[in-house]
Amino acid sequence: MLFQALQKVFQRPQYALFAFVASMTVFVFAVWLPNMPLIIKVMGHPGIPISQKLDLPISLLGSIATNFTPLSASYTIAIAVLFGANLSMILYFLRRRVAEVKRSGITTGFFGIASGVVGMGCAACGSFLLSSILSLFGVAGVLAFLPLDGGEFGILGVILLIVSLHLTAKQIQNPLVCNSNL
Amino acid sequence: MEEEHVRQSIPSKDNYAVPGAIIIAGALIAGAVYFSFGKTPVPSPSIGNKVEDVGSFEQMAAISARDHIRGNPDAPVKIVEYSDTECPFCKRFHDTMKQVMDEYGKSGEVAWVYRQFPLSQLHSKASKEAEATECANELGGSDKFWSYIDRLFEVTPSNDGLDPAELPKIAEYVGLDVTKFNTCLTSAKYAQHIEEDSQNAIATGGNGTPWSIVVAKNGKKYPLSGAQPYVAVKQLIELALREK
Repeated sequence: MLFQALQKVFQRPQYALFAFVASMTVFVFAVWLPNMPLIIKVMGHPGIPISQKLDLPISLLGSIATNFTPLSASYTIAIAVLFGANLSMILYFLRRRVAEVKRSGITTGFFGIASGVVGMGCAACGSFLLSSILSLFGVAGVLAFLPLDGGEFGILGVILLIVSLHLTAKQIQNPLVCNSNL
Repeated sequence: MEEEHVRQSIPSKDNYAVPGAIIIAGALIAGAVYFSFGKTPVPSPSIGNKVEDVGSFEQMAAISARDHIRGNPDAPVKIVEYSDTECPFCKRFHDTMKQVMDEYGKSGEVAWVYRQFPLSQLHSKASKEAEATECANELGGSDKFWSYIDRLFEVTPSNDGLDPAELPKIAEYVGLDVTKFNTCLTSAKYAQHIEEDSQNAIATGGNGTPWSIVVAKNGKKYPLSGAQPYVAVKQLIELALREK
C-alpha cells in the first residue's frame, strides 16, 4: 500500500520536486543550525564578495561527514528525506479535497518532525538543540543517562515520520466513497 | 442519521490533534532555536551553576600569557579553540587544526590558541586530562603542552575511553619528569584555570565542543561551532585574512 501510494504521488514531477526541495531545506537547516550566527554575520558583511559569501555556507555542508556521528548523520538524512516525502504526500492528499480529513497521519508527522529536530544533529559534543531545551528545565544532566546522548529523539523522529508516511499513504489509498456500513 | 449527528456534535480528539501538534512542534523548534543562539548559555557541567551572562563571542577573554599559543603569537588571524580532550569531535578537529597550522602556521598567518572546555557531564575524565595538559605546560613550557595534548588526542579513544593510568605514561613519552608530573596532577592546582576557561567558553556562547572563535587582525570575531571540515575552516581563515 505504501509503495503504491508513493508511486501515485511521486510519478507527478511537481510532487517529486516539492519533496526534494523540502528535504534539502531540512537537511541544510540541520547542518547549518550550529553555525547560523556565523552564516548571518558573513552574509551581512559588506566587505566580502558574494562568491566568497556563498563559498562558506557551501563548505559548511561538509560537516555532515565531520561533525556528526554515523548514527546522527543517518537519522538526520532520514528525517530530511521522510519530512519531504511526508509533506508532499500530505499536500497531495489535501489537494484531493477529501471532505473528512483523517488527521492522525498528519499529527504523527508533526510530532515526528518535532522530535527529529530536537535530537537532530548532535552537532559537536553536547547535543545542540537538546541540551538547550533541557537546560531550560534545569535537567541538562538527563543527557548523561541517555545511552545515545539524545540521539534517541532523532530515532524517535524517524519512527514517527515512517508511521506518518504509512498513515498518509493509507488515507491516499482509501477510496473516495462514503462508508455505507454504519 | 442520529449516530451521524452525535458524531458531529461531539468534538473529536482529532479536531484538536493537528493544531495541538503544530503548536507543540512550533514551540519546541522555536524555543530550541532561540535558546541555542547563545542567548542563554547551558550551565557548565563542571561548574554546576547557571551562568547569568548573556552569551556572545564578543565576550571572549583577551588572549594573554596564560593561553597556549601554537604558531606566531602576532599572527594576523588567531583561532581560539575551546576543547574537551574526551570529545570525539575535538579529536577530529585537532587534526584539522594541525592541518591549518601546516598550511598557515609556517608563514605566520595563523596562530592556534587552545583553551580548556571539558564537558564533565558527558566526559567525567576530561577535567583531569585538562589538568594533565596544564601540568605538562608548567613542567615543560609551551612545546611540552602541545606535545602532550597531541599525544593525548592520539591515544584516547574518546568518550571517556582513556585509562587515567595513561596520563603519566604520556608525560614520560613527551619527556617530562613523571614524579613531578604526578605531584602536579594530584594537587589539582589547575582546576581553577580550567574552570575560568570553561566559564569564558560559556560566556562566549559555547554550548558544545569544539567551539572556536576566529579573530581577525582588526579584532573582528567569527564564531565556529563543531568539528567543521578543513575546507570550511580555510574559507573562514581567508575571510579573516581580508580584514585589515
